[in-house]
Amino acid sequence: MNAVPIVKPKPAQFDPLRYRADFPLLARRVHDKPLIYFDNANTAQKPQAVIDAVDRYYREFNANVSRAVHTLGEEATSAYEATRDKLARFINAASRDEIVLTSGTTQAINTVAYSFAMPRLKAGDEILVTTMEHHSNIVPWQLVCERTGARLKVAPITPAGELIADRFIKMLTPSVKLAAVVHVSNVLGTVNPVRELAKACRARGIPLLVDGSQAAPHLPIDVQALGCDFYTLTGHKLFGPTGTGMLWARREWLEAMPPFFGGGEMIKTVSFEKTTFADPPHKFEAGTPNIAGFIGLGAALDYVEAIGRDRIAAYERDLLVYATTTLKSVPGLRLFGEAPHKAAVLSFLIDGIHAHDLATLLDHEGIAVRSGHHCAHPLMQFFGVPATARASLAFYNTRDEVDRFVAAIGRVRKLLG
Amino acid sequence: MSSSNLYTQSVIDHYRAPRNFGVLPAPTHAADGANPLCGDTLRMELRCDGGRVAEMSFSGEACVIATATASMLSELVVDRSAGELAALEQVFISLVGGQIFSHDQLGGLNAMRELAKHPVRQKCALLPFATLRAALAGLTSATTEGSN
Repeated sequence: MNAVPIVKPKPAQFDPLRYRADFPLLARRVHDKPLIYFDNANTAQKPQAVIDAVDRYYREFNANVSRAVHTLGEEATSAYEATRDKLARFINAASRDEIVLTSGTTQAINTVAYSFAMPRLKAGDEILVTTMEHHSNIVPWQLVCERTGARLKVAPITPAGELIADRFIKMLTPSVKLAAVVHVSNVLGTVNPVRELAKACRARGIPLLVDGSQAAPHLPIDVQALGCDFYTLTGHKLFGPTGTGMLWARREWLEAMPPFFGGGEMIKTVSFEKTTFADPPHKFEAGTPNIAGFIGLGAALDYVEAIGRDRIAAYERDLLVYATTTLKSVPGLRLFGEAPHKAAVLSFLIDGIHAHDLATLLDHEGIAVRSGHHCAHPLMQFFGVPATARASLAFYNTRDEVDRFVAAIGRVRKLLG
Repeated sequence: MSSSNLYTQSVIDHYRAPRNFGVLPAPTHAADGANPLCGDTLRMELRCDGGRVAEMSFSGEACVIATATASMLSELVVDRSAGELAALEQVFISLVGGQIFSHDQLGGLNAMRELAKHPVRQKCALLPFATLRAALAGLTSATTEGSN
């Protein structure tokens, strides 16, 4: 019998230039140089499809959602609610009713802080977080601790910027009533072992919140496989409009939680004697939402899914390796965050050069990077620096841009070194 | 890099070789300026005589903009009163805010007009002025980081 050789089709080559063309802003020039946008962890650029979706809503079916019975109202409601379905698929939620639409991760975490944590916490209880949290996953807990007498406990990281998972798990003592951890660090790029942490939390009956703001644009997410209790993300880092985001929570938690904001849209009946609230998720969605924004976010999710998150992750992994190697060739460069499993974020400092000077001079070359504390003061304190420069990449960035970025750093060194 | 109007040769020269850098043996006035979010620290020491600055020196660690501003400012302060320096600070604030394009009294500091295009960096240039004002007012510390 003659064996027929099976030739596996080669996966299509990832061509970032093809996707760049979808982002009108990437064509602009800054200080008369082609823009190199390396500030994606701050906010991502928007593809034409997102801009068109927002534009179309305002031009063709602008109306309020969930209340008007006229055609425009129904069209708006169906486009807006479609984003809830897309988000549910995007994170593999068991049900669309577990998706609460929020203005972003900050509102999502605050909802859990005030609606879930505050009624449950008492003096002596603890909330466990990690050293690498963004302020949005620190400050809401501190405010709730102040009101309840609970306290915040912080799990340590290694000098390479990796969470010490064993220590985190050891710190899950009976006094811990909630744990909150970032999925991907906005400063270090570290991808935390959320599945392992969730398993440990679950075994001890401790609910776990995962801040997925930086994970969503880079990794496939499956909340059921992760095994956490709450997951948050923000739309503007995911190529969608600002003012959009999501809280996912297990249905039983959402049912048990009292509403956080009161107003229209979140009620069943209202009288001055008694108000009954809508079922989740609407119970948490008082007032007219960011309808245009969520319709835009729906287009962003479609866009990302059409490319494929596995392909995006693979390309970015390759780009990160290239960028790390290239950047490390710069003399006097200190890289913050060298976890083996990390997303395409590079925080660094160069000997004798202030991060802000570096960022301003790079801006003069058309290169956008962030400099500062990245809303993570405790992490800066851990590394003993006030600020770092940060290049955060997306799938529309290229090796050529990395080369031009590193060449520009060389010129800054020459100027100031 | 030659296209930078902010990081001019003169600004970089003042950063690399700051004038009046160090400490005074017997200061009559001193204040510590700090922008902790940036990580900038500037200590300003003054010797005043008859209500006027006789001598000034500064020390610390800061970015190019803050260091060069402090260095250039140190060359402008001698023989001036607190009131005159407060007026100079107002002129400088107008410059970095983009309200005026240049002013005779500011000399090399006129390069900081470019900060009108970099609002986030304005606090860097304002730190030496605020620290000087604090020292002259008998205060010991200053910052130009208001909210962040």
